[in-house]
Amino acid sequence: MNPASSPSTSWTPGLAGTGLVVRYHKHQPPVVAGQSVTIPTGKITVFVGPNGSGKSTLLKALARQLTPEDGSVILDGRDIATLPAREVARRLGILFQENMAPNDLTVEELAFHGRYPHRRIFESVTEEDRRAVAEALCLAGARDLRNRPVSQLSAGQKQLAWIAMLLAQAPQYLFLDEPTTFLDLVHQFDVMELVRRLNREQGKTVLLVVHDLNLAARYADHVFALREGRIVASGTPAEVFTAATLRDVFEVEAQIIRDEASGTLWCMPTGRCLNKETA
Amino acid sequence: MTSAAGEKDGERPAVRRRKVALLWLAAGALTIVAAAGLLQLGAGSYGMTWRQALAALTDGLVWGDQATLAHFFLGRDLAHGLGFGDPGTLPTETLIVWTVRLPRVLVGIMVGINLALSGSIFQAITRNEMASPYLLGVSSGAGLSILLVLVLFPALGPFLPLIAMVGGTVAFAVVYAIAWHHGASPVRLVLAGVIVAAIAGSLQSALFFFAKDIAIVQNALAWTTGSLTGVGWEQVRTVAPWTLICVVLALSGARYLDVLLLGDSTAKSLGMKVEHARFLLAATAILAAASAVAVAGLVGFVGLIVPHIVRNTVGSLHRHLLVGCLFAGPALLVSADATARLLLSPVQIPVGIVTGVIGGGFFLYLMRRRQDFGKL
Repeated sequence: MNPASSPSTSWTPGLAGTGLVVRYHKHQPPVVAGQSVTIPTGKITVFVGPNGSGKSTLLKALARQLTPEDGSVILDGRDIATLPAREVARRLGILFQENMAPNDLTVEELAFHGRYPHRRIFESVTEEDRRAVAEALCLAGARDLRNRPVSQLSAGQKQLAWIAMLLAQAPQYLFLDEPTTFLDLVHQFDVMELVRRLNREQGKTVLLVVHDLNLAARYADHVFALREGRIVASGTPAEVFTAATLRDVFEVEAQIIRDEASGTLWCMPTGRCLNKETA
Repeated sequence: MTSAAGEKDGERPAVRRRKVALLWLAAGALTIVAAAGLLQLGAGSYGMTWRQALAALTDGLVWGDQATLAHFFLGRDLAHGLGFGDPGTLPTETLIVWTVRLPRVLVGIMVGINLALSGSIFQAITRNEMASPYLLGVSSGAGLSILLVLVLFPALGPFLPLIAMVGGTVAFAVVYAIAWHHGASPVRLVLAGVIVAAIAGSLQSALFFFAKDIAIVQNALAWTTGSLTGVGWEQVRTVAPWTLICVVLALSGARYLDVLLLGDSTAKSLGMKVEHARFLLAATAILAAASAVAVAGLVGFVGLIVPHIVRNTVGSLHRHLLVGCLFAGPALLVSADATARLLLSPVQIPVGIVTGVIGGGFFLYLMRRRQDFGKL
């Protein structure tokens, strides 16, 4: 499609960051402090951590939204910094925590914006664009909303509309930065079930930042726990969500309950731990 | 803005409704341009009926003679250079319409297009409904540089649009730099723009004292309020190429403007080089405003209210909005110029006074009516 995407060398699927350092202000300590991370392909990966732990920043650095001070990100075998912007966008889509759209923009029009990296400068909408948008609206469950202005939707419906745009982009990697934070319970499940479906049925590699540990425990295949710009634990939810790790990462005492029927973990914070050094 | 009611299914009703609205807007605007234009061609110290004016406009002596047409559109020197002969002799009506009144209408049309496009682009790239070349100080910066040339270096006359563009760019850069504080908020941008415009205005006035004779001062004064008095084919030739370039650039940037309205992060995540795009679009908007300023002076508020009216009618998708501006901009400017020239006849007032009064009132009305005014 794009000359840049013609594989002179083959693309090796996978996304990994090495030695990433991200700093917002010159004189302050880095928000991400020299971290290396490999995102498991075809899995749902979740970053957890307290506010200011650098989880959103790390996600943005992996998506080339931020330029790291040091370190590199390898996307499908290439250094992401050397790839054309559109090439990155065709492979990796990101949904931000807060989004804006003009008042009268409809869901379908929003989804068509997802085709931006697939279209050339004077190219009009192709049949492939239409098909991709229709499919994205269906997958996201936003088909019935397609003629409604995004601004008039509920928070949960809005999120589906934006995910539809992301899917029209047709990326292999889906990054979602706190997609459930502003949603009520039922819509949190809607979004997370959608994410799981996209992973299981479409084979998308998903990276999420989630605040709610129970959502993370329930939906993640792999968890990275961050604290003060460093990855302090990584593994399956069962490996990461232990009383010791939660004390270490979140400074809370918590009980971990395993629901044997479904195999999911529940984290029940019982209070803050006053002296984290005792861990 | 649009209602969700009654949208069950079918062929993208929102899109169809906007296209119909655009058609109506274009038809209405064309009618206004035609009516006001014909009025301009006919009325004046040498009065004609509109039939006479129309007859003069469509005079076969002009349209049938390539040499005459070439002399009007290309200018005497270029027409001779290209090997066209001398123009034929024309009847008085035709001569008046073609040499004096028609170029004024044509310049009005192009200035309207340029200011409206410029305003639309500025509003999108600053995500600010209050943005316009005038309120962002771009017009004043362009104006100051032009006045400098008129008063101090008259020899540089032919380069006016480019000089205006330099002045406009400097002003916009200064305004943006002052307003920038973790992003440029709508109110900070407009405040900075108004202040820069005030400074540029003071310097313009100061320049009057360096003028060699009173005629230059009078000319400059009319020009700082924005006037189409005395414009002729030379101004048509000055502004036409830039208008064409700006229209092409703006229309090809429509999709970029749409994506920019989703916010910088989202635009970037979709693979847009946000800073490049914003730079090129700002350059287009400055060029459009500067070329308008170069021929018509500081005509205020057109770039503010035309995009606003069009957006309320056809929606915020730029492939509709910008096309709407191509029609609505000229409608406002040509009718305002007809008012300025004919309302208080025989006294002609600058068109900028009319647009200032209408536009300023409209601006106040917007501020009162809309609580979330400003953010796009």
